[in-house]
Amino acid sequence: MPVPEPCHTYVANYIRIAYYIARMQRLSHTAALILKALSLGYCFGFDIMAITGLPSGTVYPALRRLERDALVESDWEPDDNASANGRPSRRYYQITQTGKAAVLAASERYPLLTRLIPEKQA
Amino acid sequence: MILPLPSPLARTDRMLLRVGLRLTPPDDRENWLRCWQAELWHRHHPRDASRTGATDLYAGLIRDALWLRGESWRIAFAGTAIVCLLVLSGLLLLTSLPLLVLTGTPHALMLFLIAAGPRFLCEATLVTIVSFATASQYLEHTPRASMLTQLRSRLFQAAKSAFVLAIAFLLSTDVFQPIRSAHCFVAEILHPLGFVLLALCGLRWSFHDGGRRCQHCLRALASPARVGRPSWNFLDTNGTELLCTRGHGLLSIPEIETSWRRSSRWIAA
Repeated sequence: MPVPEPCHTYVANYIRIAYYIARMQRLSHTAALILKALSLGYCFGFDIMAITGLPSGTVYPALRRLERDALVESDWEPDDNASANGRPSRRYYQITQTGKAAVLAASERYPLLTRLIPEKQA
Repeated sequence: MILPLPSPLARTDRMLLRVGLRLTPPDDRENWLRCWQAELWHRHHPRDASRTGATDLYAGLIRDALWLRGESWRIAFAGTAIVCLLVLSGLLLLTSLPLLVLTGTPHALMLFLIAAGPRFLCEATLVTIVSFATASQYLEHTPRASMLTQLRSRLFQAAKSAFVLAIAFLLSTDVFQPIRSAHCFVAEILHPLGFVLLALCGLRWSFHDGGRRCQHCLRALASPARVGRPSWNFLDTNGTELLCTRGHGLLSIPEIETSWRRSSRWIAA
């Protein structure tokens, strides 16, 4: 029979989750906008620039910060795919699970966020 | 490895890439160059013909390189003893400014400090002795550090304490010097009391900070993690562990003093 977790473990977990939510709620409007764009399928730097209207000097450093904070992860397109299309492979960004939770929290803080960016057409 | 581009970039782009490459830290250069070559190339060959030219990417290219450089400095210097001493020296300068305004000239400030010197030394010595006597920490399993490491650690602690005492003195003087002309007697009593209070708090912080630093590199320990369960205090370890970000070891701090764990334990890697 499994031993039930003591009450203080639940309390500790609750405090940990509350701490993460508090951290996520400190996301700036710009970071929230970029995360929202990523969550809607815009995965390249200048796609995000185009859809959010933010300048490159804001978008690229923000993507680095979000990646450092584990809200976003990046990878390279496979070289084979790109060279078959006659172009160099690009770095693309994806939102992580923590990032998705942060977007949810940010959407509550900035209600207009959901209306600002349309979903990416396939 | 960076594959050659299908077609070369414009001259301006290549020039900017060279500038950005110099700004980027050496470890990130290859990845940064690959990323920005691809971004610029795609900007010049868009799928959608309405978007041409890469000038709007130039600011991003430079700011991205600068961000990487700043981040590498942050990682290299965050929590180091040098940064701690620099911050304290900045605070010292800041606290001396109001006194400089009050005295008028740097020469007058110097004369004022020389006149106040003996009293400061007397009070500071007493406060330091009391602080050492009440805040000395017992650290179990102290690693056998080299003489140089021990000397460096003690010099850092001494420098930090000296800065803290000087800041406390200047701050208390900043507060009580302006009221000296109107309420000389009150200022005469409150000034030493203010200094003692500030110095005690400052030295307490200094000892606490010293106890939370790596024994080898003097960096502030990070990533506090709770270990054990409070209800098992008498059966097993219960406390907090702090890690050296450079991997020199960890500091285990017990929640309460027990017969088998009286105090913090430094576990070298």
